[in-house]
Amino acid sequence: MLRWLNLVDVPVELRVALLLGLIILAAAAGVLWRVRTGRAKAVIGGERINLAELGVVKNGAPVTALTTKVTFLQFSSDFCTFCGPTAKMLQALETTDPNVTHLEVNITERLDLANKFNILQTPTTLVLDRKGYVKSRIGGAPKAQTLVSEIGNFDI
Amino acid sequence: MATQIDPRGPRFGAAIINVLSIIIIFIALDPATESTGAALFGVAAVLFAIGTIWGNTRHPFGWLFKKFVRPRLSAPKELEDSRPPQFAQGVGLFVSLIGLVLFALHVPYGVAIAGGALFFASTLQAYFGYCLGCQIYLGLKRIGVIRSA
Repeated sequence: MLRWLNLVDVPVELRVALLLGLIILAAAAGVLWRVRTGRAKAVIGGERINLAELGVVKNGAPVTALTTKVTFLQFSSDFCTFCGPTAKMLQALETTDPNVTHLEVNITERLDLANKFNILQTPTTLVLDRKGYVKSRIGGAPKAQTLVSEIGNFDI
Repeated sequence: MATQIDPRGPRFGAAIINVLSIIIIFIALDPATESTGAALFGVAAVLFAIGTIWGNTRHPFGWLFKKFVRPRLSAPKELEDSRPPQFAQGVGLFVSLIGLVLFALHVPYGVAIAGGALFFASTLQAYFGYCLGCQIYLGLKRIGVIRSA
């Protein structure tokens, strides 16, 4: 074994300092994630969604056309903590606001779609206008305030 | 439809792992006790394997939560799908095995570094309710780290 491969004793003070640094780093990452997740990012010149390609199904029937001013298209996966609560939240919105539709696509086995829309985390929600153009994108569980202001953007 | 569980159960388990990972890092940085740190990683690997195969509710920490913690808490506001935390157990198993392999290969500070990864992920899970492995599941799949569910 080479000399440099041998473990050198790290003094206790340094070990405590390392652990404190790690604790601060992890806590900062957690706080940063809390602040940043669920916010909407505007998409400039967004593409038009092809519902047939996505294979969107709602209440057992394929969705062929968008009928409301705003559509929240939610991408989910099987191993997703916040997909269920997000779907619940968007469904509640759909029930109370006639201008809103919620669509959900499980892309666990649709890597083609994950690649096409560059999805790195689930849920990721695309906000579509009536014609199906992507207007903005929400990574993570949307914040309630984000959804309200997104709907507000559509000048209803 | 997968079973629904109290989301605080996996977070309680993650908090125990969080404390364990601090102990691992601390003792793994001393050559005299590094093997003890690796042994703790072995224990963690066995626990994660139980969670990966049988799910969080049949995990010893899940049992502790149900028996001693949950009776003291109010009813959960909502339940959670059991699959994401079970997947997270698999991520924990993977990190533990990496720690053991690094120890076997005598990689300097390998056990402590793997302990750091475990600490990072369990902190987010326990205190922020953020399952890192679940959130980036598709991202991992896309770059080929995960092949199938």
